[in-house]
Amino acid sequence: MTNTGMFFRMLFSAVFRRRSRAVMAVVASLVGAATLFCLAMICIAVPQQMNEEMRAYGANLIVTPTEAGADGKAGIDKAMVEHTTEMVAAKGSEKHAAYRYENVRVNAAPYVMAGIDVSEVRNLNHHWVVDGAWPSEGKVLIGRDVADAMGLQVGSGITIGYRASDNTSSSTSGSSGTDASGSADSSNSSDSSSSDATQSQTPSDQPTQDGRVSSDIMDTSGTEFRVAGIVDTGGSEDSIIYATNADVDKLTGTSRGVDVIEYSAGAEDLSALVKSINDMTSMHVKAQQVTKITSSDTRIITMLQTLFWIVSLVVLVLTLVGVGTTISSIVSQRRNEIGLRKALGASSAAIGTEFYVESAMYGLIGGLLGTAIGYGLAQWLCVAVFERSIGFNWWLGAASVVLAALVAVIASIPPVHRATRIDPAVVLREE
Amino acid sequence: MDMLLELDHISKIYGDLHAVDDLSLTVPQGEWLAIVGSSGSGKTTLMNMIGCMDTPSKGSVKLEGRKLEDLNAGQLADVRKNLIGLVFQKFYLVPHLTAVENVMVAQYYHSVVDEKQALEALEKVGLKDRAHHLPGQLSGGEQQRVCVARALINEPKLILADEPTGNLDEKNEKIVLDLFRQLHEQGTTIIVVTHDALVASCAEREIMLNHGVLVGEKWNDEKAREAYEAAGGKPASTGAQVEGAQTGETAIGFADPTKAAKTGGEE
Repeated sequence: MTNTGMFFRMLFSAVFRRRSRAVMAVVASLVGAATLFCLAMICIAVPQQMNEEMRAYGANLIVTPTEAGADGKAGIDKAMVEHTTEMVAAKGSEKHAAYRYENVRVNAAPYVMAGIDVSEVRNLNHHWVVDGAWPSEGKVLIGRDVADAMGLQVGSGITIGYRASDNTSSSTSGSSGTDASGSADSSNSSDSSSSDATQSQTPSDQPTQDGRVSSDIMDTSGTEFRVAGIVDTGGSEDSIIYATNADVDKLTGTSRGVDVIEYSAGAEDLSALVKSINDMTSMHVKAQQVTKITSSDTRIITMLQTLFWIVSLVVLVLTLVGVGTTISSIVSQRRNEIGLRKALGASSAAIGTEFYVESAMYGLIGGLLGTAIGYGLAQWLCVAVFERSIGFNWWLGAASVVLAALVAVIASIPPVHRATRIDPAVVLREE
Repeated sequence: MDMLLELDHISKIYGDLHAVDDLSLTVPQGEWLAIVGSSGSGKTTLMNMIGCMDTPSKGSVKLEGRKLEDLNAGQLADVRKNLIGLVFQKFYLVPHLTAVENVMVAQYYHSVVDEKQALEALEKVGLKDRAHHLPGQLSGGEQQRVCVARALINEPKLILADEPTGNLDEKNEKIVLDLFRQLHEQGTTIIVVTHDALVASCAEREIMLNHGVLVGEKWNDEKAREAYEAAGGKPASTGAQVEGAQTGETAIGFADPTKAAKTGGEE
């Protein structure tokens, strides 16, 4: 057997033949590692989860065209929608939905109709409460205010008329952006230009009642649709009639670009993303941030993360104290053994190395078990609170085990340092 | 005859207390010396100074011609592991290591671990079949024999034994003393601190301390004394000016009070 073999044999004996004391040290490390790993996992999982939860409440970024076409409503064409989406996707996850707005008449009263891709809108707005079904061919989804104003129910018939004159340049400003207005309501942007941009897409300052403009003209002709469902969001969406893009194209007799693209962007720096889109003037689009959601989202996440880090720091200090006390107790129980080893010719460095490696061993075992338990706890918490599981972060796991070993070694420095200064004569001082 | 150990007017002073008072002593290679005295007489303090585990307040200790006061802590540790084998009254075995591992610990700090050699050392003390038992599974006598095996594994020139039979029954005491006899016959120098008259009487030479002062010296082996004197060896002496101290070059005999204390004066 080599001296290295003997070193590990002594180490093995100290750890596994003195189980009760070793268990104390391992448990001290385990508790610390489990708590820290669990907190760290949650620190990482919570912002991701919060982001996803917040994204479920709709867009945090809207993009509108900066230029009007000859008829005042060219919109953003399909290629530009794809290009803008690529820019957003390059900075993080994204979900989006595009809207084409047209002024229409129902029983001679003007309403706003939005042509949508149903799957996109549905995917973006998880918070929409839809009674019935989403729009499909020949069927529309109407806002709660529209339904209440006209006494419509799911399955009712609705005649929608399109007048090109309602959608000329002068009337456009008052037509196409109720939904964009809805977004802007929540945007609370301090940027007046964004407000203006939104204004250009929002209804004019004409007075409205139950979501319709009050300047009724007695013209009831139009295309017959069925009410597939009624949407209730509590916002401006309740005043809009939603139909598939194909139905809107058919109703208006024209196909054109969209008026608003709403994004739920996962980009870390949303402001930078907005700036990069706005800097590309050749795109002829303007991006603006829905700042109310974004800032509250960030504030809550920052508060939670700060809280978790403070708790982690406290746990780290408590772990140091706990492991230090345990190791100190173990070392003091072995004072005679240390004195004997010195009497046999061991140097202080050799004894220090033995105890530091032993402490690291306790830390490693405790760290491994603690990390596994911490992951279990974090998993349980995430399932209980967020109703979703979290994946194991291997880097964090490795860091947790290494930190546990490091904490055990650091905590053992003072008691081991004291122990290596033991006068070997103590073991002979027995008269 | 080479002197392995030379103490030159050494004292150990704690405040007003002279634990060892101005002692001069020479011990040749191969001698078996017993240091006797009552509790608190300074025997263990003297042994600690000889064993490089304590330093004298005054005077000089020479081991194999090297002055210990000139050595640093690392060099003293080297002297301990290379020259000295220690046997303790309370054994001081590492409780979580087996008998053979306890012997190997001494090899580990000395040079290279050799399990076969460690087993041979245990065989020499009659414990080969108990080699893989933990100290808690061994009797007091067996533990002391492991302690002796550990002390002799590195073939030290000097064995220092502090009350080696203090916790043993008669049978085990005899086994340990036989081991010492074998070591002595092989030329190992043995210094034993003891209360036990029987153990002391096994030594070639005895010195007696009382409150740190040398108060007597006697030889149990005349041939050894003659050889010692022929080699220029002198009786131990003290510079302490107290009544009964052995101050001159003439040894003062003593009636072995330790034996009387142990046996109640029957012998």
